[in-house]
Amino acid sequence: MDSWILTAVTFVPLLGAVIAMAMPNDDELHKRWALAVSLVAFGLGIAMLFDFNYDQAGQLQWVVDEPWIDVIGAGYTLGVDGMSLPLIALTVLVMPLVFLYSWSHIPSPGNTKSFLILMLILETGMIGTFVAQDLILFFVFFEVVLLPMFFMIAVWGGDDRRYASLKFFLYTLFGSALMLLGFLALFFLAKDPVTGEFLRTFDMRELTDTAGAGIARSSQLLIFGGMFIGFGVKVPMFPFHTWLPDAHTQAPTQGSVILAAVLLKLGTYGFIRISIPMLPEAAEAWAPVIGLLAVIGIIYGALGCLAQTDMKRLIAFSSVAHMGFVMLGISTLTDFGINAAIFGMVAHGLITGMLFFIAGSVKDRYHTLEIGRLGGMLIQAPRLGWILGFTSMASLGLPGLAGFWGEFPAILSAYQPANGLPVETFRGYMVVAAVGTVLAAGYLLWLLQRTAMGEPPEEFANDPEIVDVTPLEWVSWTPFLLLIVLFGVAPGLIFEVTDPAVVESLNNCLQFENGCDGVADATTAALGG
Amino acid sequence: MSDFLRSYLTVGIFGLIGVALVGVFLGLGKILRPNKPTLAKTEAYESGVEPTGDMWSQANIRYYVFALLFVMFDVEAVFIFPWATRLEAYGTFGLIEMAIFIFILLLGLLYAWRKGVLKWA
Amino acid sequence: MIAQLDSTVARPEITWDGLLPILTLGVGALLLVLFRSLMKQLPKAAADQAVPVIGGVTVIAMWVVGGFAGTDVPLAGLRDGLGDPVFFLGLLIMVGLGGWFAQYLRLSVDAALTVMIGLTSLAATWGVWTDRYEIDGAFGLVGDQLGADGFSLVITGVIASAIVLVALLLDDYLEREGMAGADMYVLMLFSGAGGAVMASANDLIVLFLALETLSIAVYVMAAMHMRRSESQEAGLKYFVLGAFSSAFLLYGIALTYGAVGSTNLIVIADFLEQNRLVEDGLLMAGMAMLLVGLGFKVAAAPFHAWTPDVYQGAPTPVVAFMASAVKAAGFAALVRVFVTTFADHADDWQPAVYALAILTLVVGSFMAIVQRDAKRMLAYSSISHAGFILVGVQAASNEGVSSVLFYAVAYTFLVIGSFGVLSIVSGEGDRGTSLDHLDGLSTRRPALALALTVFLLAQAGVPLTSGFVAKFAVIGAAVEARSYWLAIAAMVTAVVSAFLYLRIILSMYLGQAEDDAPTIRVPRAAGLAIIVALVITVGFGLVPGELDDITRDAIPVLIAAG
Repeated sequence: MDSWILTAVTFVPLLGAVIAMAMPNDDELHKRWALAVSLVAFGLGIAMLFDFNYDQAGQLQWVVDEPWIDVIGAGYTLGVDGMSLPLIALTVLVMPLVFLYSWSHIPSPGNTKSFLILMLILETGMIGTFVAQDLILFFVFFEVVLLPMFFMIAVWGGDDRRYASLKFFLYTLFGSALMLLGFLALFFLAKDPVTGEFLRTFDMRELTDTAGAGIARSSQLLIFGGMFIGFGVKVPMFPFHTWLPDAHTQAPTQGSVILAAVLLKLGTYGFIRISIPMLPEAAEAWAPVIGLLAVIGIIYGALGCLAQTDMKRLIAFSSVAHMGFVMLGISTLTDFGINAAIFGMVAHGLITGMLFFIAGSVKDRYHTLEIGRLGGMLIQAPRLGWILGFTSMASLGLPGLAGFWGEFPAILSAYQPANGLPVETFRGYMVVAAVGTVLAAGYLLWLLQRTAMGEPPEEFANDPEIVDVTPLEWVSWTPFLLLIVLFGVAPGLIFEVTDPAVVESLNNCLQFENGCDGVADATTAALGG
Repeated sequence: MSDFLRSYLTVGIFGLIGVALVGVFLGLGKILRPNKPTLAKTEAYESGVEPTGDMWSQANIRYYVFALLFVMFDVEAVFIFPWATRLEAYGTFGLIEMAIFIFILLLGLLYAWRKGVLKWA
Repeated sequence: MIAQLDSTVARPEITWDGLLPILTLGVGALLLVLFRSLMKQLPKAAADQAVPVIGGVTVIAMWVVGGFAGTDVPLAGLRDGLGDPVFFLGLLIMVGLGGWFAQYLRLSVDAALTVMIGLTSLAATWGVWTDRYEIDGAFGLVGDQLGADGFSLVITGVIASAIVLVALLLDDYLEREGMAGADMYVLMLFSGAGGAVMASANDLIVLFLALETLSIAVYVMAAMHMRRSESQEAGLKYFVLGAFSSAFLLYGIALTYGAVGSTNLIVIADFLEQNRLVEDGLLMAGMAMLLVGLGFKVAAAPFHAWTPDVYQGAPTPVVAFMASAVKAAGFAALVRVFVTTFADHADDWQPAVYALAILTLVVGSFMAIVQRDAKRMLAYSSISHAGFILVGVQAASNEGVSSVLFYAVAYTFLVIGSFGVLSIVSGEGDRGTSLDHLDGLSTRRPALALALTVFLLAQAGVPLTSGFVAKFAVIGAAVEARSYWLAIAAMVTAVVSAFLYLRIILSMYLGQAEDDAPTIRVPRAAGLAIIVALVITVGFGLVPGELDDITRDAIPVLIAAG
């Protein structure tokens, strides 16, 4: 298979969106069309999974390298390796399911056509971010994601949508503004390590190869700081997280699912694809800070969850906590930690996406998400209740389900961070993070108890609207549930793909004395293969 | 102090003397003359006619437009006089230049005329 | 200038073909006055016939003047072209199309003539660029007073395009407000001619004269709406403050002359290159005054105070012209005087521009978000855009200059589009410019709402629009010049202004229109202007390479004739 597949999988949704704009304003037609388009992308994604050369998972595959804006040195460079493949697969899987869900759940004020078109554009942005191998291209896709989501929240959101959408947009834009500055500084400062000439390139491969050689340490730290804010807002990390609960709560179900399943991963992906390999020295200096913010996020998110009265808001805060685990794994700068982080991203995407689906369905039935008013779901809608229970278990990291393999190795990796990082500090983080898992069990089980167990409250006792899981929901949910189990039982499916790429990306660190020395053997040992 | 600025010093001294002279004479007058104001003395003098109404009286706006048109040709004259003294040096080129200048000004007059500015009614 | 007091005066070398873009605008304005003075009222039948004829003539004029502008042998290429039957046929078809299109747009005679003059000037600019500048490089136009380099040509092109688009907007606006007549168009053409001269001036006195030509016409344009007292106020305010700033500029010119001994930019640059001034106080003061004077024109803080009131009060299409052409010309002068002429004193003026840029960015973006009136918001946002352009000026490098040009070009179309939509939405008397009047625009006029959304997002610098590439270029220049903090300030304020644009977008999409909201009629001509602006905004966002090449070729140089 040639390199066209990356271009195809990226732009098929956009093409679909453009065609959809020209189509007559018929809701059913648009639903079918959007689903078909996303299925094409899904098919391409499956084809990629089959065609991917797993022996070379550390190398970029299907590389496209075309000039784009010559004068500023930005190229149309695409490529996929083991780090991005799982995330692309996740994206192309989630989107058709979301479109399927939209079949019967178009949020007010309707206007199906625009809603679906926005989601198609969103898909292009997300896939594009994962395949881009040029900083400007990456940035463009990164920003393209922003607008459709902004409109989805602003137009189809809840009561407080104006505030939430603005906050979402401004936070992210602020972050990406600083990130762009970082990219630019990298462009002007990066030198070829051998010849010492200025590179003047945005090509991520070349910049990764130079790994910040020849850039003054102070500049490196600043550049990393800029990117840190850019990606950290998107993750979101602790001090920049406040947009997330608002955005999640106000967004329509589809928006929440996409936000949780894919969008948050753009930030963490940026860390492992751009910040760390390109500026290993700065990464080493920043790692303790990242780790600290990560564990604060874990605890803060968990405590936040305990305080929530709104189910959707609770799930949103749990995202903060889970992404904290991911960031903790990344901050160790070991291949073990980063592998765990990638697994955590995929697992969180599946599990939290699923939780938001459930929240959406609960809202449809009960017209409220206030935990205090809900209850007895296991009696009134037993299957819905059980799915909620199952997903909560997965979310709190029950071994045998996907969530476990994201959290547990991330905590474990903090025991032995990369050489040069303060070991004691990271062990401290480890302990705190472990407390976080207990809190996670606390808030999730409590949620389950209050909503699913007990007798149905009086106001809903005889409500005919409260039905069990509909066939349509079954169809769109089953893949999530199956994958949660599958990855829980066989985590190697992902680890084996990501590991070579992660090791490759950390190679640069090894060039430096005291650099982030990977514990490559540890991973293999821990994963039993 | 440079020569350049020294020549300004002369101007400055001259100015100072001028101001001082006027001040001295006015001051002397103030000291020497008797001061007995009456109502009639303090009124504004206008050809012996008793002044009426406010000091701020409105003039017809049309005066303004005419004044503008006058200024236009006044400025034209300001440019034409020095040009005329140097016409030999400028030659045909200068002649054409001035023709263009006057044409543009006349165009303005033509425009004003067609706009009805020149009618008093 | 002073040198001409010799007893024999040499006739300055005039390059007529290179002068055509400017001449077209200036002479076009004069002819339009003449025509309208001689024929106040066209017979109805003749007026209907005239418009398609003008449309057809436009095509021919563009072809003839554009061809003439580029060649040493006038009309030789044209003669050859006519001999070719295919070409001839194509021309005929184009003429027919032009006529039909003018008829379709229902333009008035004055608007059609103005569009014709603008397009012809654009064609001439294009001709000079491709056939003259790209081959021979920069050349003098009128002695060493005016020069044509890539920089002045691009700015002239920008001004000509602005004239065309604003004329399309004005057509219906003047009709709606009962101000129909040639006056506004003539003033705009004069102003545009002034701007073009300003961009190509190689002498401070010429620069000043051009600036006055540009400004005085715009003062009157701002005050043209007789029945709106805000318009009168705007005109007066603009006039008083503008005259004040002109005084500063003139004083700056005088001081510079005192320090260097010439007002000619070429002489100044040479002198400064070869001599180090022992006492440079006079020059510093002169540069400061020049900066203040030009800062007023481009609305840089702290000299921005007139902008919000004037933008709010002046007729909306006029505002579009002020924010595009006038600003572009102002920045052209700023770049030519400072970056090119005072290049050897960059260390002296850069800190001042640095401070101005930061102040302008902060004032523009923060003041904008507390406004309730869309026009006022865009006025402040135009201030913050000026700050962005100053960031490019501050870099004092070739990259900086080309980024300034890119920004000026991109912003011209953005702002004309934005104010174009506002002009249509605000209705009779420009009353509906408050944010509430935009409520629910997405349901009343989805296409307009979409267009304004794109313009606003582009102003916010969202990728895939020209605004992003422009901001990118400017910030890139700043980073390359190692002005990191300036770059950071610019990016942060960009986010702050994004809030403002989002507020407008949100009220369009989320607000509920009042039931008695008047229906919005989109005139064809204005619609066309908006579509053109939209296509250019998105086009340069997707494929910026072409424009980027042009702006990189367009570094200003000072060139003497001969």
